[in-house]
Order: sequence, then C-alpha cells, then structure tokens
Amino acid sequence: MLSEKSFDGAAQGASSGFAAISIQRLDALRSDEMDALPFGVVGLDAAGLVEVYNSTESKLAGIPQSIVIGWEYFAETAQCMNNFMVAQRFEDEAEIDDIINYVLTLRMRPTPVRLRLLKSASISRRYLLIER
Amino acid sequence: MTEDADAQLASLMQFLYSCPIGLIDFDPNGEIGLINPKAMQMMQTVAPATLCMNVFTLFEHCGPELRNLAQTFAPRRGTVCEQKRIFVHGGHGPGQSDATVFECTMLKLSDARYLATLTDVSRQVAQELQLKQAEVWFSSLVECADDFDVLSLDASGRVDGVSDAYLEKTGLPREGVIGNFPDSFPTEGAGESGGGIAGILDQARRDGWHLDESWHQTMGKDGRWCQRLVVVRHVGDIDALLPPDASTGYVLVLRPMSGRRFDVARLRHMLQNDFLTGAYNRAYFYEAAERDLKQATRRDTALSLIMLDIDRFKTINDTHGHGVGDEVLKAIASICQATVQKQGIFARLGGEEFGVLMMVDLETSCHMAERMRQAIADTAIATASGAIHVTASFGCSQLTVAMRSLHSLLNDADAELYKAKREGRNRVSSKLSTSNQPNLQPVQLMDRS
Repeated sequence: MLSEKSFDGAAQGASSGFAAISIQRLDALRSDEMDALPFGVVGLDAAGLVEVYNSTESKLAGIPQSIVIGWEYFAETAQCMNNFMVAQRFEDEAEIDDIINYVLTLRMRPTPVRLRLLKSASISRRYLLIER
Repeated sequence: MTEDADAQLASLMQFLYSCPIGLIDFDPNGEIGLINPKAMQMMQTVAPATLCMNVFTLFEHCGPELRNLAQTFAPRRGTVCEQKRIFVHGGHGPGQSDATVFECTMLKLSDARYLATLTDVSRQVAQELQLKQAEVWFSSLVECADDFDVLSLDASGRVDGVSDAYLEKTGLPREGVIGNFPDSFPTEGAGESGGGIAGILDQARRDGWHLDESWHQTMGKDGRWCQRLVVVRHVGDIDALLPPDASTGYVLVLRPMSGRRFDVARLRHMLQNDFLTGAYNRAYFYEAAERDLKQATRRDTALSLIMLDIDRFKTINDTHGHGVGDEVLKAIASICQATVQKQGIFARLGGEEFGVLMMVDLETSCHMAERMRQAIADTAIATASGAIHVTASFGCSQLTVAMRSLHSLLNDADAELYKAKREGRNRVSSKLSTSNQPNLQPVQLMDRS
C-alpha cells in the first residue's frame, strides 16, 4: 500500500515537472494541486486576463492572487513579457510548447528564469510556467 | 500588524509592477539592483532576448554617454542628467516617424547607488518632427503661393472638387478626375510613393493633416514631381481655395517640384537657417552643438562658444521702427558671417542675440570675438533712416572637463556676456580677460586688417 503510494507519487513527480507536465494535465489540476507545484503557474484566458495564479508564483512575485486574478497580465503585472518573445507569441501561434531563458523582475529584482509557454488548440486557457 | 504590512507591501509591488515608466536602480558600474517590468521591457527593445543586467552595457551602443555622465558626475549626490534623449533605433520610412526614442533621467543617490527613469517618447519625437516639417512646408507654400494645386476630396477620399487650372495644367478631363481616387488618375511612374492615398488619409484623420513626404509623379504630360499635403476639412475652412461645390472631407494640396535635388537643398536651408538674417537658426545650432560637444569630448579637442548681443537694440527699434531694426540685424549677421566664415557655426539664438560655436580654445575664440566687435563698431549700417552705428557685447566660454554639457557652456558664455554689458558694453569678456589681464585689448594682438 505504502510502496504503491510512493511509486504513484514518484510517477506524478516525473510527469508533473516543469518541463514534462502536459497542458492537458495542467489544465485538469485542482487549484490546491496547482498551488503545490514547485514552479510558478499563470493561466490566461483568450483575452489575456488572469484566471490562474498559483501560490508559488504569488510568492515569487510578491503579490497575492486577489490582486492579479481578472486583470490583464501582460499589460499590468508582467509588462516585461509584453513583447514579441512572449505575449505576442500567444497571439500569433496556434500551438506552443516551448522553453526559453528569460529575465523577470520578480519583486523588482532582475531574476534569470526559465519560461515554458503552453498553448493548445484544444484548450482555451494558455499557460505560462515560471521556474527560478 | 503583519497582515497590514503584507498588504501594504503587496500594494507597493503592484504599484511598481504596473508603473508605466521604467525605473532602474544600479551601482556605479551599471549593475542593476532593482528594475521594474516597464524598464525591463524597454531594455528588451534595446537588446532583444538579452540576459545582460548591466545598464551601461545595454546602452553602450545607442547611449554610450550614460556611462560617461554617471561616472564623471563629481558631486556626491544630485541629478546626473534630465530627460536625456536616447535614440534607440532610427526610423525606416520617410521622415523617420517610427524611430524609437527614450528619455532618461538619472539621479546619483550615493557613490554606490544610482537611479534612472526611462520613458518612451517616440510618439512625441515623431510629432515634433512632423511639426517641424509642416512649418517648413507651410512657409514654402506661402512663399510661392501660385505654385500649387488644390483638390477637394470627399469623406471616402474620392475627388469631389477640382480647379479648372489643375485640369488645364494636367490635360485631364474633368470626368476623369471627379469621383476617382487621387491615386487612380496620375499616370505612369506613380509607383515611387510609399503609401497610397488611403494610408495618407488615415494619418490625416488621426493628426488633422498629413504631409506625404515621398515624391509622386502626378502628371501624364510632363511628369512633374509633387509633394502632397492632406488636411482634414471642416465646413467653412479655406473656402477661398476650394471649388464652390466641395463637401466635407479632405483638402489635398499638390505642390509641384521643379527639381528634387534643388528642393532638398532649399528645404534644408529653410530648416536650418533663420529666415531674416540667413544665419543658422537656434534649432540647428543646438543640433550642431550637441554633435560638436560629443566630438570634442571623444577626441579631447577644444570647443568654444561666443555669445553676442547687440547693444541697446531696443532703442534702435523704438527710435527707427522694427523695419530698421531688421535691417540692423541683417547687417550685423552678415558682418559676423563674413568674419567667422567657415571657422565656426554662426547662428541667431534669439531676438538680437547670436552665437558662434568654434572648435578652438578660449583665446582664439576671444580673438574672433574681438574681430567681430571691431568690424561691427567700424561699420556705418545703411538703413532707411540713414546710416546707423551700433556696437555689440561679447561673452566667450570654453568647454572644460568639468562641464561636459552644452548647458554649462552656454551658461558660462551668457554670464561673460552680461559681464561685458555691465562693464560698459562694446567689449569682449571671458575668463581670460578677468583672471589674467583685466584690460586685455585683443584687437592690438589680432588686428591685421
């Protein structure tokens, strides 16, 4: 029982890592499961309004979910990604699964991160994963 | 208590995250300590996909002076520069209205800490450029008032009014023009124009008017070149120019050009020179001064400025009228221009104030000033009110390592000029004349004529 559980957990760890987790799987997670992920997760609707802002990202950025949810992410919180490298790609490309190196201004400190851009034709929500 | 503090911190974060102005905090080497998202976005414009976090390195190419300004700023704290313009990318199209320009204000907080704000002023710069062009264009239009054609366009951009003179000149039938887009009847070779009439009308709607800077061949017969100005028409506007049946839409002014090369030179002259005296104008002077300043700093060569002001000019105006005042200004400008020749940039800076920028040391510039002073004092200026004698006062300054800005060079020359005025006018003042030889009369050293 115990060993099975830990095996399960390990399997989950492998497929829910920053680089491995699929957008389908991510989109199906409950909010407490999202919060438990060790990397930042931002989910946007087609208009760019924030629908998901997990607690890891909230801690990294130093702003509570309540401030960010429902607002235009690239215009108000993440202007530094409002360019052709990130925001524009979500507009231009039908499907994305790409990891790029980037510098964010988390709590106004220049912070090198890895970004994973996820967009699928079958899922309306777009995801941005942030790993410090 | 902590909850309050947390909420306040979160609110402060949000304030900085959404700030529409770039904020950067960095050390004397340019290493960024704090930066908000707007500033990061602007940095990405300068160097896309960069992972570099050094503000001087990032601006090395387009704004290398930021490093110099910061590192040569001697006071322990204060404003290093204010609204310094950084031309990030040049424009591509005619008129370069798509150039990217930032304005940077930098503060030194301590020997270890600097703060800078970045603002994107590309739009303002484009507007300034447009205004400058419009000013030139309108004045050249007025100057040769017979030499243009006016078409009236309806709201969709089709011609709804045309003058007989235009039809006569072009040989086009009225029915070939009315109801058509202005792009459709110009004949062969119309292709050089950048945007079609639709784009031009869009811009005119946005700004109230638009000058099509590209060149456009409009005439079938003689293939003349035209500049096109579109102005959004309001009812009752410039009625005199329009055929009576014109309705609300646009006015399209076509200005035929006799020759491209000739006109570019003339446009440049109008942009750079004062219309009354023919001396360089203030705008050009500042442009040239910034350029010379950069060069002098880079090559470590001398740069001096002479400021001169006609003595008691107001009295001339009051006694003889402004017409005579203008004649005096023209005469003074031509005397100075003949003296300076190509050794410096001679410009009219204000009403009766002129400046000469020279790549020489202070002593040489004082000699030049003295030659101008002498030449002015020796000349009887022939005017409508008879011969008039005037004098002028001069202040000279030289760029020093401590200065490094045009502002301080101008201030120094201005201070010397006022000293010359205070000490009795008709004289040259500079740090040389005060510190070493209070009664220096450079005329004795220099005057060879």
